[in-house]
Amino acid sequence: MIEATALTKRYGDKKAVDGVSFTVRPGQVTGFLGPNGAGKSTTMRMIVGLDRPTSGRVTVNGMPYAEHRSPLHEVGALLEAKAVHTGRSARNHLRAIAATHGIPRRRVDEVIDLTGLHAVAGKRVGGFSLGMGQRLGLAAALLGDPATLILDEPVNGLDPEGVLWVRGFVRSLAAEGRTVLLSSHLMSEMALTADHIIVIGKGRVIADAPVGDIVGSTQTYIRVRSPRIGELARRLGQPDVVVTDVAADTVEVRGLAPEVIGDAALAAGVPLYELSVVSGSLEDAYMELTRDEVEYRTAVPAGTTNPTATNPTTSNQEVAR
Amino acid sequence: MTAAVTAPSHARASHQPLPEARLRFTGVLASEWIKLTTLRSTVWAYAVLILLQVGMGMVLALNITTGSPQSDASTAVFAASIGVMLNQLVISVLGVLVISGEYSTGQIRSSLTAVPKRLPVLWAKAIVFSVTSFVVSLVGILAAYAVTSPILSGAGVSSSLADPEVWAHLVGAAGYLALIGLFAFFVGALLRNTPGGIAAVLGLVLVVPAVLSFISAEWVTVLTQWLPASAGQTLFFGGGVFEPWQAVLVMLGWIAVVAIPAAVLLRRRDA
Repeated sequence: MIEATALTKRYGDKKAVDGVSFTVRPGQVTGFLGPNGAGKSTTMRMIVGLDRPTSGRVTVNGMPYAEHRSPLHEVGALLEAKAVHTGRSARNHLRAIAATHGIPRRRVDEVIDLTGLHAVAGKRVGGFSLGMGQRLGLAAALLGDPATLILDEPVNGLDPEGVLWVRGFVRSLAAEGRTVLLSSHLMSEMALTADHIIVIGKGRVIADAPVGDIVGSTQTYIRVRSPRIGELARRLGQPDVVVTDVAADTVEVRGLAPEVIGDAALAAGVPLYELSVVSGSLEDAYMELTRDEVEYRTAVPAGTTNPTATNPTTSNQEVAR
Repeated sequence: MTAAVTAPSHARASHQPLPEARLRFTGVLASEWIKLTTLRSTVWAYAVLILLQVGMGMVLALNITTGSPQSDASTAVFAASIGVMLNQLVISVLGVLVISGEYSTGQIRSSLTAVPKRLPVLWAKAIVFSVTSFVVSLVGILAAYAVTSPILSGAGVSSSLADPEVWAHLVGAAGYLALIGLFAFFVGALLRNTPGGIAAVLGLVLVVPAVLSFISAEWVTVLTQWLPASAGQTLFFGGGVFEPWQAVLVMLGWIAVVAIPAAVLLRRRDA
């Protein structure tokens, strides 16, 4: 359990993290999402005490990280690949960290095997690829068998196999009841790994919700192309479904599964030229989330806009009904 | 790696608990010992230190002329400890690198995550580095004595390690290297930067005394006597204005002057 309260970090007159409050709960993967420079890494560094908060407070399992008797048993952190002396071998690096807590040698060998580093454990870290550096960082994070894991962009630099492995691994850690906080700037990665997402932008929490809510509403959409798109669009209309015109014969649908759209097209006898799931980038989601904030202030009462998907004047305008 | 990929296993493969796993200062000491001894640069620097100590002593002993005004004992000490003049630079560079290398590589963030109270890392590193440096220096100096004393005996200069004037100065020479190394270590901890740290230490050990020697004012002479390198020479070459215990205090004073701000800033600064 990680609890941040009004956490703020100021560098000079710039606020990198601005009054952030959130709770990361055990037993699930919490995604920490935001563009580069949003304050994710700074927040994570404050959790383990590497950066001092300007104000506010963050605790891990009830107390500040540094106050724990066995910090590595509370939190395992992968904050950047290769926070390691380049002249030391991977095994010796892990031995040195393990020694601080009296963690036995067999545990060092265990995490080496666990992260697939066995072949390179005796090699100096200076020659490691980014992917191997990530594996070593993960091995170091796991040394103390921690109840909480904090992983900053763990799939960065990994090959596709490694990405799959990290996803499965992180999910299994959460299934064991651990607290997992995982950052990424890729919404699609989060959609596959996280149960809960905290979106951060410009140092503030923009959204804090289960992954289904955020991804469903803002990220993945279905691109539908049909010569009779207007007819189909009218059949898709229901609460929580957003249909957006992008071309005369194409719409983007949010809030419906592709199966539902395909069935609807068949039922209506409308030919489909394209039905594709498009995973938006974080930037899309992020833009949409911030736009939502703006829209709440100038909201047009729901139901007053009549979504006519075929009307060219509504192009590029989101309409819901 | 394929095995790990195909089987996303549990965090604890064996599910054996780690019963005594907790943070202790002895553990931090062990960690720093592992860190010091698993870098090639450290091992090489210590090897070079011993070779220089023996090599410079031999060169001096082979060129010694009889009838020197010094006593036999101080001639023998001089030969065994002449290498200190060069090795103080070796140990200073190593002292800075031991800590600045952690900052330049990012290792410091791993170190401070494992020991989030931070100061134990600084003290453990200081202890491990200064004790190791003392022992290695003593080995080098005793080896230099073992090699040079037969040569000097041949030239009619006889000495004995049992003579307090001999062994005390040889131990003093090793102590001087350990203390100047420790001073450099804390300068490195304060500046967190390899070139800056090395420049600052070598400047104080080499450049400042040389520059001050051109100034004949009384207060400059006094100031020079208080510099760490000049005060410390009393420990092995003898002479000087300080008693050996005073010289040690002067050097400890210099160390404190950098160690205290280094410790305060380590607690305060972002890593």
